[in-house]
Order: sequence, then C-alpha cells, then structure tokens
Amino acid sequence: MAGVQLEAARLTKRFGDRTAVEELSFSARQGEVVGLLGPNGAGKTTTIRLLTTVLAPTSGSFSVAGVPCTRPSEIRRRVGVLPESSGYPGHQTGTAYLRYHARLYGLSRSDAERVAGRLLAEVGLAERASSRISTYSRGMRQRLGIARALVNDPAVVFLDEPTLGLDPAGQRQVLAIVRDIAACRGATVILSTHALHEVEEVCTSVLILHRGTVRTSGTVGDVTRAVAAQRYAQLRVPLELVGRAREALAGVAGLTLEPADERPDILRISLNEGPATRQGGPNTGMNGPLRAVLSADVPVLSFEVEGARLSDAFLAMTREGAQ
Amino acid sequence: MTGTGLIGRVRDAGAGVGPVGRQSPGWQVVAEQECRDLWWSGRGPGLVFAFSVVLSVMTYLAGTGQVLNFLEQREAVNLTLQVAVAVGVLVTLVVSADAISGERERGTLESLLLTPVSRRAIVVGKLAAALSLWLATFVVSVPYLWVLGRGVSLVGAALLLGLLVGTLLAVALALLGLLISAVGSSNKVSLAVSLFVLLALFAPTQLPGGTPKGWFGDLLVRLNPVDASLHYLAAVLVTGHTWTRDLSLLLSPLVTAVLAGGVLVAAGHRIVRLHGGVSGE
Repeated sequence: MAGVQLEAARLTKRFGDRTAVEELSFSARQGEVVGLLGPNGAGKTTTIRLLTTVLAPTSGSFSVAGVPCTRPSEIRRRVGVLPESSGYPGHQTGTAYLRYHARLYGLSRSDAERVAGRLLAEVGLAERASSRISTYSRGMRQRLGIARALVNDPAVVFLDEPTLGLDPAGQRQVLAIVRDIAACRGATVILSTHALHEVEEVCTSVLILHRGTVRTSGTVGDVTRAVAAQRYAQLRVPLELVGRAREALAGVAGLTLEPADERPDILRISLNEGPATRQGGPNTGMNGPLRAVLSADVPVLSFEVEGARLSDAFLAMTREGAQ
Repeated sequence: MTGTGLIGRVRDAGAGVGPVGRQSPGWQVVAEQECRDLWWSGRGPGLVFAFSVVLSVMTYLAGTGQVLNFLEQREAVNLTLQVAVAVGVLVTLVVSADAISGERERGTLESLLLTPVSRRAIVVGKLAAALSLWLATFVVSVPYLWVLGRGVSLVGAALLLGLLVGTLLAVALALLGLLISAVGSSNKVSLAVSLFVLLALFAPTQLPGGTPKGWFGDLLVRLNPVDASLHYLAAVLVTGHTWTRDLSLLLSPLVTAVLAGGVLVAAGHRIVRLHGGVSGE
C-alpha cells in the first residue's frame, strides 16, 4: 500500500478571537486525490496555507512526505501549490515565468529552461510558451499555475479551486491534468473546490470542513452512504389530486415533502433512510409513501427515485453544522 | 482533452527538487528577476530618463544661468551631486516601498512565499534590485559632474564621495522602504507613508536660510539621514574638510540602515507575509 504523504494532527489556526481551523486531523496517501470541501469560510484556504507553510499554525502539527512542519523550507521543496487567487506577471512569457520559479527551487538556468519547456508542453501551452501571460485566457493561466506547481516535482500538490471561472472545456482540461498528476506522477493531490461533481469525478476521498472543523472524511462512497442517508424521489400525480396526495403522505413517518421547482403536480419526497428502511419490506424505503398515495386512490403518473449524492452529504453536514 | 497529458513517472516518496546543476542563491535569482521587471518593464528607464532631464536643466542653469552661474565651481559640483544623491535615493525609496506590498496586491507574493527561498533572501533580492536604480541614477550624473567640475581637481573625489555616501543613504532608505512595504496594510498605504517619510526627510534641506542654528539645529541635521548626508558632502566638497572630520554626520544613515535592516533580518519571516498590516496573521 502506498505510503502516507500528508499527515495533519490537531492542526489549529486562530486569527485573534476567530478560529479558522480547529483540531484538523487527517492523512493522505501517495497517488490519492483528496477533495477538500466546505462552504465559503469553512477554512479550506487556511488549511492549504497551513499545510504549505505560508501560515504558521497556532497549535498542532503536520508532515509532508515525512518532513515535519518544523522544517518549513524542506516542506516547501516537496509541495506544489496553485493558490486560490494567484496573480501572474502579465509582462512575462509563460517560459520566463516557469523558468524563474524553477530557479527559485535551485535549478540551474539550463535545467530550469528544460523543465519549463516540458511542463508547458504537458499542460498544453507549448504553442503559447513565448507569448506574454497578459494574452492568456483564464483557463490558460490556470494551467500555467498548475505547471508552476509542478516545477519542483512535488510529493503533494495543493490546488485551490483550479476550475473556478473556467468554461466546461477548460474545466475538463484541468480535471484531466489533476487526474494525471496523481496517476502518472504518483503525487498526492489536495483539491479544494465547490464543484461537487468534480470531486465525484476525480477524487478518491473527501474531507468536508465546516467552520474550521472536519465534519466527515473518507471515500466519496463512504461519505455519501454514511452521511447522506436521505433519499429523494419525485412523484407526479394529477394536478387536481395533489392535495389528497399530500394528506396521504403527511401520515407517513420519517418523510419530508419539499417543493419541486415550478411543477405543482410533482411532489419531491425526502426520506430519512435508517437501518430499518434499508432491510426491505412492504413499507420500507419508498414503498411506504407509494403505498400511502395509492391507498388514497391517487394515481401515480410517474415515480423517480434519486440515489444519495455527495451534494446531499455536503448539504447535510454543513447545514447540521450551521444549526 | 487535446494537447495535454503529463509525461509523468511514479515519484519516489519524499523526492522533490533539490539543488542540482549550477544553481544560484535564492536572493540572486530574486534580484535578477526583480531587475528584469524593473528595467524591461520600462519603469526603471523612465525614472532614469526623468532624472536625466532634471539634471540636464540644473547643469545648464548652473553653467549659463544668470543666478546659478555665480556659484563657485565647487558649489556647482556639490549642488549637482546633492541633487543626484537626493533624487537617486528618492526613487530607490519609492521602488522599494512597492516591492512587497505591490506583489501582495498583484497576487504574486504567495507563489514567491511558497518557494524554499527564505523571506530574508527575498528581501535581499528586492533590496539589490532597488539599489540598481540608485546606481543607474549615479552613473547618469557622472558626465554632468565631470562637465561642471572641469578645471578643478574635484571631480574624482566628488564622484567617489557621492558613490559612498549615496550608496549608504540609498541602502538605508531602501531598507526603510522595504520595511514600510512589508508592514503596510496595502500598496497605497506603503507608498503614501514612504512619500510622507521622504517629505519629512527632505523638507529640512529646503528650508529658506537652512536649518535652525545652534545645538538644536545641529541635532536636527544629525538626526535626519538625508540632511546629515548632504551636509557631509558639502563639508568635504565646499568647505574643504577632510573626509574623516565630519564622519559623525553619517551616523544617522548608518543607524537607519542597521535598524531597518536588523528588523527585516530578525523579523523577516514574520513581517514578510501574505497579508499586510501590523496585526497578527
């Protein structure tokens, strides 16, 4: 099994009276892509800044590729970062920009030149290598930023919202690069994002933060199953019988009716799935609501069950925390 | 996806770029890049050109003007050298005041802080780049001083003196500018504070009739690094004092350099940071 490349233990950061990150503990293995999720202000960026030594923790510790946080310079040699709001010197060319950063990591001029050329090719910017960054699109800048994060062949790569503001094609390109970083380079990737479909697509595990604390962590499947026990279904009945259907459903325990967007004939059922309801049986799961509606002589025109998704888990965790 | 794809390899755990090949120290890499940014972007050449225009006008007036050409040749050389030093350190202070807060505002500081280059080395690199502007202004002033000093055996001494005193003053003010830039909550604040400092330092040199006389006036001169340095130049070039006689005048630029540099070296890792301001990060 691949070794642990990133390990945080009770990491805490306070800004005055405000606690941005509290007692954060987790670990990530080589080649893993960990999705760092959380609403705005959850502490994702602060967590990344702590783990990349830009900020010093108030308490707790962490290590990157076995290097303890007491050796920040050594850690910076082993991490690559695409910060959330990274700026780029518009007057520099892509090559000059990467060459400069490669030299900051101790590469000679010729090695830096070689690395810059290779990385620009790898992120699909070879043709624009000699163009000024000011002429790059947002997607190209993001890919350039990722290339910069790779100049030192890092053990752990932190990407803070790398697809923010990109069009679908740009998002696909960036996600493919993220996948390749883990698969081809064997680096651990920490991907902070609000786009949950991206996490489902590329991440092997997730970490949901809320108000600076870890709400849950594990593989996407585990988190979804463990946390998002709710299941949804959409039930369509004749418009004139919606009231009767609602009355029938009101008598079913563990069920919530949610408004469906602009369709009064559709009832969105949210069911809290517990161990008993998973066992099957005439009144378990969605059988209960269906039976209740049919017993009330309301014909069901359509019935669609939605499985639990990561977004359900995310909302459940962050809503619960907020309350 | 087209055109992309990482030609990777499964890395060894714990690997990472280390010093390979013939590498340069971090401060040197930063200084080279800062110099390129300063001189290739046109900012440096623009400032030097503006400086040369000012110096040309001054030299023309000193050589032909009805008022200034009454100056004794030594005084004309001294006046021009003082302008060269004063304007040279002024632009150095302004450039260094933008060095950290400007990067912060442009969003490029974080990627610099994420490299293994120490914050101290970043400061040294930026200091070296700012000083290149002082050296350029000094080089520009050489022909003017040579023209004004023809006939008196003063030019060589004036140039050497100007280079030494000007460099000391430029280092002091550049370090002060970097310190302001590091702790300034925004680029606007650091530039405004730097300009205020400049005004406070240059105002006494422009007072009609000079600074107040007596022990208090002398104290004011000695406390002000700019005023003290310019007085030292005048004492040697115009009054004819030996170089060592008034060395105490250079105490304030020296102390300023040591204090500002000391704070940057000792607390660099705490004050050169992602967010400006004096509160904790």
